[in-house]
Amino acid sequence: MKLWPPLAVLCSLLAVDLVWAAHSFENTAIVRTVELGGSLVHVTTTYAIKSLEAGSSRYTIALGRDEHQKTSWLEVRLKGQQAALPFERHGTHLDNEVYLYDVTLPKALATNGTANIVVETVQTHATYPWPQEAAQSEDQALKYESDLFVLSPYETSVQRTKLRSSTPSILSFTQPEEVSFATENPATKSGTTVTYGPYYNIPASASSDFIAAHQQHVTVQYNHGFPVLEVTKLKRAAEVSHWGANLNIQDEIILHNAGPRLKGHFSRLQHQTQSYYNRPAPHVLSWATLLLPAGISNVYYYDLIGNVSTSRLRTAPSPPKGLSQAALNNHFSTLEIRPRYPLMGGWNYSFTLGWDAPLGDSAVWDAKTGKYILGVPVMTLIPGAVVDEAEVKIVLPEGASDIEFFAPFPALSNTLSTHISYLDTTGRPAVTFEYKDLTDKHTGTIYITYKVPFLAHLKKPIAVGMAFFALFSLAMGWRRVDTRIHTKQKL
Amino acid sequence: MADYPQIIALHRSLPSFTPYIPVALLPYIAFLLLGSTFALAFYFSTLPKTTIPAHETMVASLASVLGGFGVVALFCSVGVYV
Repeated sequence: MKLWPPLAVLCSLLAVDLVWAAHSFENTAIVRTVELGGSLVHVTTTYAIKSLEAGSSRYTIALGRDEHQKTSWLEVRLKGQQAALPFERHGTHLDNEVYLYDVTLPKALATNGTANIVVETVQTHATYPWPQEAAQSEDQALKYESDLFVLSPYETSVQRTKLRSSTPSILSFTQPEEVSFATENPATKSGTTVTYGPYYNIPASASSDFIAAHQQHVTVQYNHGFPVLEVTKLKRAAEVSHWGANLNIQDEIILHNAGPRLKGHFSRLQHQTQSYYNRPAPHVLSWATLLLPAGISNVYYYDLIGNVSTSRLRTAPSPPKGLSQAALNNHFSTLEIRPRYPLMGGWNYSFTLGWDAPLGDSAVWDAKTGKYILGVPVMTLIPGAVVDEAEVKIVLPEGASDIEFFAPFPALSNTLSTHISYLDTTGRPAVTFEYKDLTDKHTGTIYITYKVPFLAHLKKPIAVGMAFFALFSLAMGWRRVDTRIHTKQKL
Repeated sequence: MADYPQIIALHRSLPSFTPYIPVALLPYIAFLLLGSTFALAFYFSTLPKTTIPAHETMVASLASVLGGFGVVALFCSVGVYV
């Protein structure tokens, strides 16, 4: 299951109620909109609900097995509001075909009270190239598979699913057969959108009986205008220096083009012609623009061969303290990187990208508790890319203690280890977070609090001083030993 | 203990980290300290050999302490942020 267990940040603190105590609701309308993309597919489902009982506050949403498998991020909110609603996994999963989540509404609904719940999910590895091979100058087409009906444990008056492609050319889509809930054409296409529905009067569908009797798979094949990018492995290391007031962040990235495999050989001539006439092939990655934090310096970008000079950096100065989050989001440095070679379908490219930033931009000092609080972003977003595996290691100064961390979303595992670096004696504590299937919604910040006593700061100078003193002691002893060879020796 | 939204609020409201010694001064401090270490080492080499090396030990200790801080400042000045 790829869905982040909603037990840490998004979860409510209610005790899990294992007895089915879901209140009765009725869905007056369900609209699911799927924004078809490359490696990431954004799905927004809006449930217009009506309460059948007074005091109903827990609404259950259902995900089918395939959908649940592909979902990496899920957020529920009321339409028009920003605050995310808490949700938790329901106690029972029926035959592993349906996964249920209980959402707690902020205000209980009276009988016949209505609300609009918006469920946003991001699916990863949900599309695949079809055809699987494409020549250098051909278009790229992807296929996306989905279930026809949105499942729900409640009755639904009307539901529809809209699949919206990024380009106007939709090559094919499944025409579902014998849909008993449809009164008109079960599938229609208009411009960039394929609509399955409207389907009327669907009974409670979160059961394997309904799935066996009515559920169908539908597939849409569409042209996609951007390279499908996957970061197979991301290793981020953030190293804190108190003496240098510096935070160094280094990313080791393995980038994979998950589009259609290149058919035939790579032709440099064809590639140059395409760039000259500004008609790049949609599945080839030449340039990528990354948004790095403001205030960075000493940026380095190299791969196995050496430094990669094909990049353009525009730094922004450090943002002043006290800005709102929205203003902070607008402060960033831009780095346009060009891999050493254009990334064709099926190709990989690994590189290392790192920078230094003033520690004052990321860390604060709490005089009351005597602790430092450091914020490290989980990853730098590569637009449209999914990160298959990520490892974030935060190396704290030598002698750090009382370490606590607060992550924006739960990690697969957290480990505490010791990292040895320059001028270290006892080593530096390092906290490592492992993640899987990160999307563009997983760009949060990990906060770590730690204490470093004053004497711990002096460990390094004292260690170097002791090394010097050892040399001086050696010199003192050496001066007192006569190492000359005596020529006049009595035998 | 604090939860995530509380930590965000705390992080935004507290004063930024400031080092004990301003970073811009580190190259000059490194030069002064390492220069002193070098001078003291030279002086150390001229000291007479006595049975109890009290003077030598004092000079060596002072040179070591200055050298320790000087090397840390040097590392930070050249970009190896220790």
